[in-house]
Amino acid sequence: MPRLRKTVALLLVVGLLVTLVGCGGKGQNAAKQVKSEDSIIRITEDWPVFIDPGVGSKFSDSIALVNTYDTLVFPKPDGSVVPHLATKWDILDNGLTYKFYLRQGVKFHNGDEVTAEDVEFSMNRLLKIGEGFAYLFTRDVAGVKALDKYTVEFQLKKPFGPFLQSLVRLYILNKDEVLAHIEKNGQYGEMGDYGKKWLLTHDAGSGPYKVKEVKMEEYVLWEKFSDYWGGWDPNAPKFFKLSGSVEPITVRTAMGRRELEITDELQPLENYKTMDKIKGVDVATFLNGHNLNLMLNTKKAPTDDVHFRRALAYCIDYNAIITSIYPGSALSKGPVPAVLPGHDPTIPSFKRDLAKAKEELKQSKYYGKLDQYPVSLSWCAEAPEEEKLALLIQANAAELGIKINITKKPFGSMMADAQKLETTPNASLVFVAPHYNEAGSILMSRYHSSSCGTWEQMEWLQDKNIDNMIEDALATVDVKQRFEKYAQVQKALYDLCPTIWLFDQAEKRAYQKDYVYWPTAERALKKEKGCLPMGYDQYVHDMKVYPEKRLALL
Amino acid sequence: MTTREASDYSVVNRYVENAKKAWYKFSRNKMSVVGLVVIVLIILSAVFARIVAPYPKHAGAFVNYAEANLPPGWHHLLGTDVFGRDILSRIIFAFRGALIMGVGVLVMVVPIGTVIGLIAGYMKGSLIETILMRITDIFLALPPLILALAVCAVMRPTLFNSMMAVCISWWPWYARLVYGMASSLRNEVYVRAAELIGESRFHIIFREILPNCLAPIFTKMMLDMGWVILTGASLSFVGLGEQPPTPALGTMVSDGAKYLPDYWWISIFPAIAIMIIVLAFNLLGDGVKDMLSTEE
Amino acid sequence: MGINLLKRIGLSIFVLFGLSILIFIISRVVPGDPARLALGPRAPEWAVQKLRQEMHLDKPLYTQYVLWLDGLVHGDLGRSLVTRRSVTTDIKEFLPATLEIVILSAIVLVFGGIFLGIISAKFTNSWLDGLIRVISYLGIVSPAFVWAIIFVLIFGYNIPIFPTMGRLSPGVVPPPMITGMYTVDSLITGNFGTFVDAFKHLVLPAIALAMGGMAQAARITRSSMLDNMGKDYIAAEKAYGIPEGLIFVKYLLKPSLIPTVSVASLDIAALFGNAFLVELIFNYPGFSRYGISAMLNKDLNAIAGVIMVLGVIFVTINIIIDFIVAYLDPRIGLAGR
Repeated sequence: MPRLRKTVALLLVVGLLVTLVGCGGKGQNAAKQVKSEDSIIRITEDWPVFIDPGVGSKFSDSIALVNTYDTLVFPKPDGSVVPHLATKWDILDNGLTYKFYLRQGVKFHNGDEVTAEDVEFSMNRLLKIGEGFAYLFTRDVAGVKALDKYTVEFQLKKPFGPFLQSLVRLYILNKDEVLAHIEKNGQYGEMGDYGKKWLLTHDAGSGPYKVKEVKMEEYVLWEKFSDYWGGWDPNAPKFFKLSGSVEPITVRTAMGRRELEITDELQPLENYKTMDKIKGVDVATFLNGHNLNLMLNTKKAPTDDVHFRRALAYCIDYNAIITSIYPGSALSKGPVPAVLPGHDPTIPSFKRDLAKAKEELKQSKYYGKLDQYPVSLSWCAEAPEEEKLALLIQANAAELGIKINITKKPFGSMMADAQKLETTPNASLVFVAPHYNEAGSILMSRYHSSSCGTWEQMEWLQDKNIDNMIEDALATVDVKQRFEKYAQVQKALYDLCPTIWLFDQAEKRAYQKDYVYWPTAERALKKEKGCLPMGYDQYVHDMKVYPEKRLALL
Repeated sequence: MTTREASDYSVVNRYVENAKKAWYKFSRNKMSVVGLVVIVLIILSAVFARIVAPYPKHAGAFVNYAEANLPPGWHHLLGTDVFGRDILSRIIFAFRGALIMGVGVLVMVVPIGTVIGLIAGYMKGSLIETILMRITDIFLALPPLILALAVCAVMRPTLFNSMMAVCISWWPWYARLVYGMASSLRNEVYVRAAELIGESRFHIIFREILPNCLAPIFTKMMLDMGWVILTGASLSFVGLGEQPPTPALGTMVSDGAKYLPDYWWISIFPAIAIMIIVLAFNLLGDGVKDMLSTEE
Repeated sequence: MGINLLKRIGLSIFVLFGLSILIFIISRVVPGDPARLALGPRAPEWAVQKLRQEMHLDKPLYTQYVLWLDGLVHGDLGRSLVTRRSVTTDIKEFLPATLEIVILSAIVLVFGGIFLGIISAKFTNSWLDGLIRVISYLGIVSPAFVWAIIFVLIFGYNIPIFPTMGRLSPGVVPPPMITGMYTVDSLITGNFGTFVDAFKHLVLPAIALAMGGMAQAARITRSSMLDNMGKDYIAAEKAYGIPEGLIFVKYLLKPSLIPTVSVASLDIAALFGNAFLVELIFNYPGFSRYGISAMLNKDLNAIAGVIMVLGVIFVTINIIIDFIVAYLDPRIGLAGR
């Protein structure tokens, strides 16, 4: 027996060693020929990805939704919308009624036809669940009704100027299919769980791509929907994959091995530089209508003092930011990113001016007792480059004698801390994106009192006057008048200085220039103005991929 | 033990004798001496970091993007990180946190663990023993790192909180150790004798039993120092612990890992620093073990 | 032995019960409102209120605990806030991936450690012995995550023979889910190509994880072998003419393994802890990475679930190891431990 055991043990050890050595060889390369799976666009983006239009609203969710579902109207880079599922529409009753005429013969992924009833169902579901993009509509939409098979009517409580723009966030679901997959015991009464569980891993859309596989915490894979009403370019990607692996090493290696077509936008600068050197890879840089905010808690000492806030604003070295940390980005002019329609170009940018900063500091009530009032600053763990910025601001503020305590927080904790005034830090670094492409979206979600307690407003501004001005502007149907009112709000906000608008973000994504055609990158190369709402830059239907060229690079 | 007619002089002499003997035992293994020297150097450099570090400013609120990612060279012996900060200086300052972690945790953990172990050991067979030791078992039912991670995750990330988290997962090991010793020592003749002459429990536990447990406790402390520092580094590796810009070895490694292999120096040198400090404490611990062992 | 086993298991159940209280408390002191976190900032208050009720967050803490324990016994650990699925489903998906690494790592640890220890002892004071001793010292003092980084650097870039991330190469289809362990499943379904690929992905993380314990095992095996070699009875047995091989296995190796096995047991259990860090570096979608993401996102049900499962595994391993030690050394009764 003992001898046997010894032999077994030795065999195991030897076997292990042999296997280790034996497996050392390089895997043989697959035969070089184009397969249908090679016609694919792979994009990395932060996990989780919610593909349910009633739930999702983040960057990764938006990319998923845009490709899976159709909307009544479709956005253009200049901020206008064009017909999509709706071929035309009427605006009646001074902007209180919107009537849409649907395209006929459009098919859902399961073959059902898209009808007005589906639109009605989708809006009601979104409002009832109340998550995701619902808040865009909850304030103003009074009701929705299918008038006949191809006509649907929305009733508003009061006029809402950018209603059409906001409809790019109403994704149309197949009513029958969702109803067939409802779990009885849910929180929505007779609607059960409203299909939430099923829609976590399945889709009920009519968009260009249908969900093929969802692997939690890893990826979502889509397949081209051949019967898509919008038609297909012969070189359009057959597959589309959104992967959650955003680790820099993983991303860079995958780019080098041509196992990834477009990266996410949150890689460290060093990584973009390295990837730029890979043959056939280019880094697309484009102003995307997002900006980075240093949100200052206006109800907590010492950032409750406007002079203190301005002192901070004047001490930051903005040039270092847009040259060394976020190269390609532009200095912000006020709260609204300059590429968004409705931005007021007359607002100046903040500039570093230590003399001015000291002057403001002297006027603040905390002058002379700065050491008793350290400033807490949080940055978001998912955006590693923010650390460089946080440390720069800390070093700049130290020149004024202001002490800043930095905390790195996962976005989840940031959201949790934003819920209460007391737990909201003095300063928070947050990227903000408009939900539809107009200044009003930013103003409403950032500075209206209704957004206090969310991560989108850690200022706790709660200013009645600002609230009224924003509401008034949004209720204005005439575009020119509306934009003038937006400009007033922006000027008022600039004077209050609740936020230090650090820069308008230049989104960077490395992509396989040699075998992928990506409209957004082309626009960036031509330096065209304008931007698309979050997610629409990754509208895969309009991309092209050339697998033969990819093989040539391997 | 001591002779009645011992004069002050001979007492001093005896101390010197003992110290010489202890040093002899300790230094028999040359590696222990190496460990001691390295530890002394690390402690000195941590205490006098402001003087020793070439760029003391780089451990605080400082950035210089013009000198970011420089490879090791004359001006920056171990290179600079993505913020343009001197890595050597940051490592030297990070030793502070590491040492505070090690000493702080042991200072908190050893008395708690010892007292619980002593009481449970002396009261073997009683309800108190059952309660204390079962509670200890519960805390031992998880790998220490996991328990520390979980505790740390729900608290605000600070050096003190991560010390507390390590404490929570560490005290049971001392309770176990002391319990084992105390439960056998309570049968010794001198303990029985003390019980017979009616000494209080307090006296018996702390005056009779405790002194005989000190050597093993001290040895374990020395050996544990390195592991505590390592656990602290693991916590800061995940981002739970000292917050930037204060340097922490684990954080430096994990942050730098993002930039492998191009900027390898950002993570490799702090990693080596962790190895050195833990190795040195291990060598020192082995020496102390030799020194306190009873065999000649 | 049977009674001891029962006693030991009974005690373990008690310990796990206590652990469940401890874990529950840890997971519920999470600051912030988990229901609000789960639904996002824009969700209306009533929806959040509903979820609070669904998660029993509106009830007193002890009621919450009883409900949680009830779920635990029935294998229902509640819903994860991040994946929005049942935590049990998540664990079923992620645990096998980590088990795969830990099992391979444990094998490397025990056999590698004993093997190196024996070599070291057999060739005492040779250069080989010296080399092994230096490596074991380095192995003991370096955390697994440092080894992981060194391996990534060397084998990922300088000598790229092993993959350094994930469970499978891109394009390799995962085997059908049977045990959830890719290596096992691919072997069962006879897909050798997938097996090799999955196995290659395990090699570096497993060795990085095993380094510390392996070094420890090697050192202890070496020193106890040397101790026992000097014992009189070995000399006596040699004098009686008992075959070298038998002496080596029965009288030298077996008793020398007792300390190794008891220390290795602690190290194997600790593998689960270190796997938390190693998986992060190898970007390995396992249980530990799931646990870390739960901790960072304050996903309370997932935190509680992950730790509880680890507790059960840890306690079970300890029982098993106790029996192995008792088998190797009949003098040690189980009750003594």
